Amino acid sequence: MSFNKQIILSVAIAAVLSACSATPDRNETLERARALVQQVESSPRAGIAAADIANARNSLDAANRLAESKTRVADMELEATNAALSAQIASEKILTAEANEAIANGTAQRQAVLIQARERDVQKSTAQAGDALRQATASQARVDSLETELADLKLKKTERGLVLTLGDVMFDTGQSTLKPGAYATLDRLASALRQQSERKVLIEGHTDNVGSSDNNQGLSERRAQSVQIGLTQRGVERSQITALGKGENFPISGNDTADGRQSNRRVELIFTDGQTRTASDAGP
Amino acid sequence: MKPSVAAPRKPLPLRSVLALPLGIGMLALLGACTGVSAVTKERVAQGETSLQQAQQTLGQSEHGALELQQARDKIAAAKTAMAKGQHEQAERMAAQAHLYAELAVAKSQSASARNSANEVLASLEMLRRESERNSPTTR
Repeated sequence: MSFNKQIILSVAIAAVLSACSATPDRNETLERARALVQQVESSPRAGIAAADIANARNSLDAANRLAESKTRVADMELEATNAALSAQIASEKILTAEANEAIANGTAQRQAVLIQARERDVQKSTAQAGDALRQATASQARVDSLETELADLKLKKTERGLVLTLGDVMFDTGQSTLKPGAYATLDRLASALRQQSERKVLIEGHTDNVGSSDNNQGLSERRAQSVQIGLTQRGVERSQITALGKGENFPISGNDTADGRQSNRRVELIFTDGQTRTASDAGP
Repeated sequence: MKPSVAAPRKPLPLRSVLALPLGIGMLALLGACTGVSAVTKERVAQGETSLQQAQQTLGQSEHGALELQQARDKIAAAKTAMAKGQHEQAERMAAQAHLYAELAVAKSQSASARNSANEVLASLEMLRRESERNSPTTR
């Protein structure tokens, strides 16, 4: 057997022997260091802590070399501990980088959500402004439509509101029952009032001075109520209507001529667009 | 059977080769014992600086507190070794103290970064829920 072969064999046997003896007393510090170093080395973010990982690898290599010569366990453990420490430092730095990335991502997403919400708010308020404009236009249109619709009914604009005067031809003499000739007018009034539920109407009955004042008062009340009933029967809300009898005390012309008395026998409908005005106007 | 006989005989010359540097090393160690070198003092001082910096960074934080204590212990060990003239041991302890101090700082930093990340994610989640609650009314 040659000298070289002897060396190789002896080294091999020594290796086997040392391996056999090393297996039973596995050093925990070293094993832990190996695991930790391997873990950080295989991390996809290893580049962040490259210097610490290099330190860990150097210490681990030194520990591995020392582990082969079993005489210097303390030195080996020191190097293994240093390897583990460097690996842990690297690991914490990687965790920090990950957390910072999450913060950056989260902040960006938060910003995106905020911008979205702001855009939505703008859209919302634009839509609201549009709605308000449409509503305003629509209500203006309805006012217009009431005025145009009732234009041919001799609607008068007064400081009390729009006043429509129904002449006494709507009623039989001394009666409070509406004649069928009044129905067309009532239909149109009712449909106009149904469209504008916020509109209020004050119905006032008036008479001439023929007959007793009490009779005239009662008649004026009943006629006003007849108009009110006619309107509610046509679907107008009861709350939109106030009916009052004013008797003979508010003539619009002289009671000394037949024409004058005829104009004084009337039912007036006063349209307002708010409750307050109706309430204040309701009193005599 | 020859190799097995050769095997125990072979390391003998190896040992004799190692004997010389070992002997020199021992002499060097003995020489060191007489006085601590400036380098050792410097390294221990560096370890102590790392420890102080870590203490300042951590404050009362519990994250890394254990490692900070280890760093203190190692500095103490380094000083003891230095007092005994064991300059190599002193340097090793100082180096380890530095590693522990660094780990303490890394741990406290990663803990506070994770805390912040969790807060950001929680607030993002809340914001999302809120905006989802608001969005159907606008549609």
